[in-house]
Amino acid sequence: MSGPVPISTPVMDPRLAPPFPKAALPILQNTQLRKNVAHATDVIQAKRNRLVAEKKDWQELRTSASAIRAHVLANLATYLEQFETNCTAAGGVVHWASNAAEARRIIIDILREENATEVIKIKTMTSAEIQLNPALEAAGIAAIETDLAELILQLGHDEPSHIVVPALHVNRHQVREIFARQMGLPQLPNDPEALTAAARTYLRRKFLSVPTAISGANFLIAETGSVAIVESEGNGRMCLTLPRTLITLAGIEKVLPRFADLEVMLQVLARSATGERLNPYNSLWSGVVSGDGPQRFHVVLLDNGRSEILARKVERQTLQCIRCAACLNTCPVYRQTGGHAYGSPYAGPIGAILTPQLERMRHAQSLPYASSLCGACYEVCPVKINIPEVLIDLRAQVVDQERVDSARWTDPMYLGMKAANFAFASASRFRMAQWFGRLGLRFFTGKDGWIRKLPSLGSRWTLSRDLPALPDQTFRQWWAERESKPKTGADK
Amino acid sequence: MNSRQQILDRIRTATSGDRSRYEDLPRGYIHAGALENEARIQLMTERLREYGAEVVECAASDLPATISPQLRDSGRHRFIVPDGVPHEWLAEDFTWLRDQNLIYDEIEQCAGVMTAASAGVADSGTIILHHGPAEGRRIISLLPDFHLCILRASQIVETMPEYFARFPNPPRLATFISGPSATADIEMTRIKGVHGPRFLSVIIVRDDA
Amino acid sequence: MRASLFITCYNDTLFPQTGRAVVRLLERLGVEVEFAPAQTCCGQMHANTGFRGEAYSQAKRFVQLYRDTECVVIPSSSCVAMIRDQYPGLFAELGNEELRRAFAALLPRIFEFSEFLTDKLGIDDVGACFPHRVAYHASCHGLRGLNIGERPFRLLRRVRGLELTPIANLDRCCGFGGTFSVKNADVSTAMLDAKLTDLLATEAEYCTALDNSCLMHLGGALHRRNLKMKPIHLAEILASTEAGAS
Repeated sequence: MSGPVPISTPVMDPRLAPPFPKAALPILQNTQLRKNVAHATDVIQAKRNRLVAEKKDWQELRTSASAIRAHVLANLATYLEQFETNCTAAGGVVHWASNAAEARRIIIDILREENATEVIKIKTMTSAEIQLNPALEAAGIAAIETDLAELILQLGHDEPSHIVVPALHVNRHQVREIFARQMGLPQLPNDPEALTAAARTYLRRKFLSVPTAISGANFLIAETGSVAIVESEGNGRMCLTLPRTLITLAGIEKVLPRFADLEVMLQVLARSATGERLNPYNSLWSGVVSGDGPQRFHVVLLDNGRSEILARKVERQTLQCIRCAACLNTCPVYRQTGGHAYGSPYAGPIGAILTPQLERMRHAQSLPYASSLCGACYEVCPVKINIPEVLIDLRAQVVDQERVDSARWTDPMYLGMKAANFAFASASRFRMAQWFGRLGLRFFTGKDGWIRKLPSLGSRWTLSRDLPALPDQTFRQWWAERESKPKTGADK
Repeated sequence: MNSRQQILDRIRTATSGDRSRYEDLPRGYIHAGALENEARIQLMTERLREYGAEVVECAASDLPATISPQLRDSGRHRFIVPDGVPHEWLAEDFTWLRDQNLIYDEIEQCAGVMTAASAGVADSGTIILHHGPAEGRRIISLLPDFHLCILRASQIVETMPEYFARFPNPPRLATFISGPSATADIEMTRIKGVHGPRFLSVIIVRDDA
Repeated sequence: MRASLFITCYNDTLFPQTGRAVVRLLERLGVEVEFAPAQTCCGQMHANTGFRGEAYSQAKRFVQLYRDTECVVIPSSSCVAMIRDQYPGLFAELGNEELRRAFAALLPRIFEFSEFLTDKLGIDDVGACFPHRVAYHASCHGLRGLNIGERPFRLLRRVRGLELTPIANLDRCCGFGGTFSVKNADVSTAMLDAKLTDLLATEAEYCTALDNSCLMHLGGALHRRNLKMKPIHLAEILASTEAGAS
């Protein structure tokens, strides 16, 4: 039988989550979870690579997508106002939320006015960001997740580990157990088809009876005031069409200038996210349309730190993100840890830069270091976010915090960095450091000239790697020796 | 100061001095397709079939005669149609419910729906509904398990940018359908039909006849 | 031609044989090699860990030391990537206009070792002989930072007796990542395990790369597991001329 779903319930609140290296530990020991993650990322990545390769104008599409998103950010206020005007004219109500608490309050107020006791939800990263579900529960409103993966997690009391495929860490046997238990279907077989059918039946009643829905937004169109949602299952269409009242929660950065800009964004998003030419369903609507769909429509525009990210030159590109998760699938770190280690709904490379910024660098400071800076994320990003560049800039912000923290005097990494900087400042200091290094390491060196165990920070290296002893002669010593001898035309 | 003003002020401060014109954005990607008529329809057909959709072609004059067997093959008898669908599409031997504000349960109990479409995009095998009179409300092409979509060959463009060029006035509603609803949420195994129609059938109507 | 060697701090200290091989090879190819003893570090370790001011000090030293050289050769793709990708930002943020301009003038004269051979000297066949099975590990900074592409393969294919064995997932990081290897040692180790699986499947005798940093990480694990495969810098293969020598 398969292993348990999570070893311990992952903490997805960046203010409470343990630092990344610590959070990763239990996951690295969970072979079943790692197998599930590796399989899923392999499949998506192979599909993505195949479909990107067939697209002759892929780089041109990327260039345009990136430029459109950067253009939006440079003119964000104008486009948001335009969106607001057009959405309002089309019958929508636009709200502005400075932070997570305000967004939660606006949504709960609307739901209370609707006398809602239940609300159906399309998968929305933004609602996870503002931790909406616990707030709804506290307000006596049951949130029903309708995306298959989100339903699996909700019923299994688990947390999402991927932006696009949130339950990729769970396998069919685990899904069967959850559904059998929670839906009262002890005979349920474990093939994905039967499990999907069970979810369809389970949710159909909810779709037909719950009169309020919450969605996120993939894009807001300034020109028309419309909202675009990209999905596969049709649960989105259900939530967008059947209820009487719809609330859309969207980050302020989600806006696009014109309807026609979707010709770029839809093409790059589908290929990057799921490795499809286009995902099964894209829905687009403008405000309220008489006789079709919800007759009350609210949009909540969420800032929650975004305008501060906008103000930073290097970091601004973070907001170009269209949440395709291609960076997760290709990331060698994410592939080992899955999403839970990131302690935030935003996992992987994009999470490593977005989460600490949304927390105004007061939490999640370990995330910018959760990367080997290999650059695979930047290579696949459809809007060309230079994630390594942002990671490095955020690391500099973290170090700037350390510089005024008294704990720095006991942090071997900090002290090592300062010592190295001192040594690198002149050749004579560097030579001396090399000499001391050789001497110091001699104590740990075995008879075969290798070091198997080091103390302190060095033990993190020797966790899995031996270290060759420092050679007797550095290159500069060899060079000096060579220079002092008469030239013979050949070296030793 | 209210949040709206606060947010907009913060954004304006953050972006003051930024200059970026929409007209200057690079647009080097492929706009117009290169395929001839036949090849374009062929591509549309192939892509739809890749999704597991049923596709047949017919001449305009043969449409009613083509609809019948498609519906019969679906094994269903009761179908919803939008109010704006031409009368001659409503083949005999079937029960038709015109959508004049049908309630959810009536739609839900109907196993099939037949609609027109606004456009098709061959490159991605996409059918686009703008939900006009012959395409119907969004809900009727969502709840039934079988969707027969009638697409005119002249509505099919090759590339996504060609679709957008064809509709300079954006629709108020649009649904892009690329194959039946699907999920890969369990072990990346693609399963057809989660909540939307599990079966999509398309008739491509030749306009030239 | 005079090439000024920037050996890099860790090659100097830990892998002098690589530097000696670079000198031997370049001199064999008729290049005059010089080495400025004042050199220390490019600043990569500090920059990538977030110590920006410290990195800037080293970047400044680098430019002042090399600004008048004919060209700079560096047997480490990650140090070259540091210089190309991060110096401009450091100088724009912390430096002065004069320094920025001096760097801009120097930049086109800075070469990664294999770039220097193939681009500057225009040589693929360096006359090397290395009769062994070799797997090439593509370090991320060479692969994506420098777009090094086919260059190392072109050089390796012309080495007499060398059998190049393809490795699966060539573009996947080995998990070194500088201070990442200690700050996130457990994740780094998991990545290393995955890379070793691919590497060992090649059944190569040697694993080569443009960077001794990745090789120190891979080689350290190979040694820990008592495996026979040996890490070797590309320069050492290319400097070998007769069977058995390296």
